[in-house]
Amino acid sequence: MMSRIDDERYSFLAFARNHVFVTLFGIVAPVLLFACFIGYPIVYTIYLSFFEWNGMAPTKTFVGLANYSYMFGDKYFYISLENNLKWLVVSLAFPVVLGFLIAYAMRVRAVYFPTLLRTAIFFPVTMSLVAVGLMFLLILNPIFGAFDTVLRALGLGFLVSEWFGDYRIAIYTLAFVGGWAFTGLPMIFYFAGIGDVPKETFDAARIEGAGHLRMMLRVALPQLRSVTAVVVMLTLFESLKAFDLIAVMTKGAPFGRTNVLGYLVYLESFWNSRFGYGATVSVAILVLSIAIATLMLGTVFRGAFDV
Amino acid sequence: MSSVALLTERRTFKRLRFAAPRLFATLLAFILAAIWLGPLALMVMTSIKPNKEFLNGPFALPIAPTFEPYQKVWEGLNFGVLMQNSVLYATTGSALAVLLALVPAFALSRFEIPGKKYVFALLLTGLILPQQTVLIPLYAVLRSLHLLDTRIGLIIVHGVYGMPAQILILRGFMTTIPREIEKAAQIEGATDFQIFTKIILPLSVPGIVVGYTLNFIAIWKEFVFALVFLNSENILPVTVGMLKLNSDRYITAFNLPAAGLVISQIPIVILFILTYRGISSGNFVGSVKG
Repeated sequence: MMSRIDDERYSFLAFARNHVFVTLFGIVAPVLLFACFIGYPIVYTIYLSFFEWNGMAPTKTFVGLANYSYMFGDKYFYISLENNLKWLVVSLAFPVVLGFLIAYAMRVRAVYFPTLLRTAIFFPVTMSLVAVGLMFLLILNPIFGAFDTVLRALGLGFLVSEWFGDYRIAIYTLAFVGGWAFTGLPMIFYFAGIGDVPKETFDAARIEGAGHLRMMLRVALPQLRSVTAVVVMLTLFESLKAFDLIAVMTKGAPFGRTNVLGYLVYLESFWNSRFGYGATVSVAILVLSIAIATLMLGTVFRGAFDV
Repeated sequence: MSSVALLTERRTFKRLRFAAPRLFATLLAFILAAIWLGPLALMVMTSIKPNKEFLNGPFALPIAPTFEPYQKVWEGLNFGVLMQNSVLYATTGSALAVLLALVPAFALSRFEIPGKKYVFALLLTGLILPQQTVLIPLYAVLRSLHLLDTRIGLIIVHGVYGMPAQILILRGFMTTIPREIEKAAQIEGATDFQIFTKIILPLSVPGIVVGYTLNFIAIWKEFVFALVFLNSENILPVTVGMLKLNSDRYITAFNLPAAGLVISQIPIVILFILTYRGISSGNFVGSVKG
């Protein structure tokens, strides 16, 4: 009797023989490229995390799990980890929820001029985060900044803070700036997603007297599970990748309080020349992304990607 | 009161009651649009304000508008070179990504390949991988290939890392092409290669345009790879070159960073206008949803 795996291997060879061009350029070539430029680097990072290396020396020193035990005692690792999670929470609460609300409002024609709104919100998605960072450095500047001026004009002067100087709020400032630039993406995904929901579904709910809140929670969201799964995953990976804004706006200041894991890798590797430890933090990012993604796909989004 | 007048009055009232929530929602929408467009408009305004007008406050209109900041930034940062580099990376990197993705997208959209789901799993890994995790090994790989701090090295990296997203986008587009044409071609004895070049490729042009545009924007925005893999001043892209605008030197000259970021965004604005319908309607989203 033939096992399933043998069966699959056999039929792949049969397929390859019948479709040489497709197999070669459609499967083998991209998988090879993937292996060289994406797969190998991942494996190498894991390998490197067991070594000490300054990036220049021809030999690397094997140190076993020393990098890992150092990491679990490293204050900056915990600060960075916490900041990544704060970033994730802000990103889920602000751009994702707002993006959904705007997309819904446009689709049910709750607002006039939907195109203007859509364009305005989407535009920053096309901006580099370096440009966004520079822009908000000016806007949030404590002396000449426009934001504080607006707050004072609205009678909210008591809210004015050291947006980057105060270590308790600096990371939230960054996360909100990131959210401002990111909102267009969830919005577009939900906009397209709600467009795919049959109009009759909404009309039926309307006729039965459902208000907007019920329509959103009971009609739209359940139909949009796979869109939500994609959006949440995107947000998760964006949050764990956070780097550009920190590099432009704070460089981790004050006192490393706005470090995130991605920036810690860069600092340790390319500034402190501790490539082994940098790799270790990279592995932590990788494990974290896979763990959170698996957790979500196994619980809230179970079956969301089944076609 | 005549019944007609009563009827029209009731109708106006009804219409108003219908429109009121919509007006309120629109007001909210305008506030939102202001939060998103305000900073951009403010930057444009700031960029043409002479330096001495900053004491008038951030919202004061420019009294004597000037293009001097643009000139200063353009010359000071060597913006011409930065722009050239960014355009080069974005055009060639995206072209490479699309080229690499075409046949795989064709394969995944048309054939029941055994083990297809593993290929998809690989693609998704490439898509979601945080760049920082591969920074160090890629650095080593590029150095051993003598491609570190070269244009071609960065273009290859952008091409390969753009490929997974391009495969998904193009596959999504190709699955929407009806099968009847190629069925007919198959009966006539056309090979896979002929079907791909003669039928699928010409029909995929709109999908290719969308994919290419998205990739162009992604490379234009990209920062980490360029920051780590490039060093020489003359090959830096805009994102890395602009970092200089952040130094303390400019702390009292707001107009310079403002002008710089306006310049950096111009090519994207042009692209945005040209491809607006394709991109912001979210048509590409269907391909990512799988």
